[in-house]
Amino acid sequence: MPIHVNLYHEVQRQDLARRRDPLRLAMLAVLLIAIGFVVNYFIVLERSHSIGVRFAALNEQWSKISPQAKAAKARQDELNNEIAASDAMLKTVESRLYWAPVLDQVLKTIPSSVQLLHVGADSPGNDRDTISTLTVSGISSAAEPRKEAEAVRIALEKNLETRFKHVTSVFKELDDSDQFVLLNGRRLPTATFSLEFQIEVRDAVADASVPGAPHKESSSEAAE
Amino acid sequence: MKLEQEQIKKIGLAGLVLGALLYGYFAYLLGPVQENEQKANSGIAALEPQIADAKKQIVTTADLEKKAPAATALLNGLKNSIPDGAPIAWFPPKIADYFKARGIQKVTTHLVSTTPDDMPGFRRMVWSVDVPKVEFVPLGIAISNLENTEPLLTVLNVTVDAVRDDAQYQHATLVVSTLVKS
Repeated sequence: MPIHVNLYHEVQRQDLARRRDPLRLAMLAVLLIAIGFVVNYFIVLERSHSIGVRFAALNEQWSKISPQAKAAKARQDELNNEIAASDAMLKTVESRLYWAPVLDQVLKTIPSSVQLLHVGADSPGNDRDTISTLTVSGISSAAEPRKEAEAVRIALEKNLETRFKHVTSVFKELDDSDQFVLLNGRRLPTATFSLEFQIEVRDAVADASVPGAPHKESSSEAAE
Repeated sequence: MKLEQEQIKKIGLAGLVLGALLYGYFAYLLGPVQENEQKANSGIAALEPQIADAKKQIVTTADLEKKAPAATALLNGLKNSIPDGAPIAWFPPKIADYFKARGIQKVTTHLVSTTPDDMPGFRRMVWSVDVPKVEFVPLGIAISNLENTEPLLTVLNVTVDAVRDDAQYQHATLVVSTLVKS
């Protein structure tokens, strides 16, 4: 085995020492970290820029759409008010009490033995009160005129109940009269009476006709 | 490997430089960028629902705008049916003509009261209509037609009294209310 003499060992040792210099290594590490940070910075910067661009675009969109939305809201309120007013008007029109069919019922119910002197119909005229009043006064003539008046009360109440939710009736006056009438060749005693009907109308008006359209019980029926 | 005093100093110096670099990086470079990003993100988070709501509002209003004409047709129709001018000038002649056309003469109408109505743009006027001589059936027909053809008119009160001199005829009084433009 040949003897190998390294005459450069000092140079090599110094070279190795220089390569393993901690400061140099530390500086290299710092440089690597710095490069990493710079790369990260640009990544973050790019991301932030794209978010900023999106934010700016949204801001611009908002500045355009916001006045439109405000105007739309105002218009919506206006339209809702108009629709509510229209609905209220429809309700008002539909909740009216039609008196003509009631007068028609009175006419149909009163027999020939009864002469009407007064018919009065009174509705409250507002949405809160539901009771209307019908007063009928007349002279009944029959063998028993009081019974005849009572028959009129019962018949009229029954007829009105077919149309209205609830009907109550009461005699305000029922007096025998000293007058006699000739009816169908018979001389009959008479009685004067006054009837009052309290009519609860609220459910009855639900079937009121469409505004402006002919009512179900129109003039032709009244004419019969 | 044992570090020499000089090397330890150099490493310390490198550490200091690294610390300063980190501080500068986070405080002066990354910090402001991230702060801006955060602000933009929170701005986006706030704006997106607002824009969505605004778009929804515009669509809702557009839909309502399409439906509104049908929904308000009744109100507009009724408004247009009310003549212009003072009601005292046109309502009594209108009622007189109405009854006259049905063979009922000498009808007089008087204003009883005027009150504001719940309906905006309208007021309610109450009138007394006096029919001195009428038969019961034609009166019933006239009232029926009046109620059916005048949706803004409500018959509040009807009084029919027998006329003593003539059993065929009655004296009638109507109290009617009607909505007019305010």
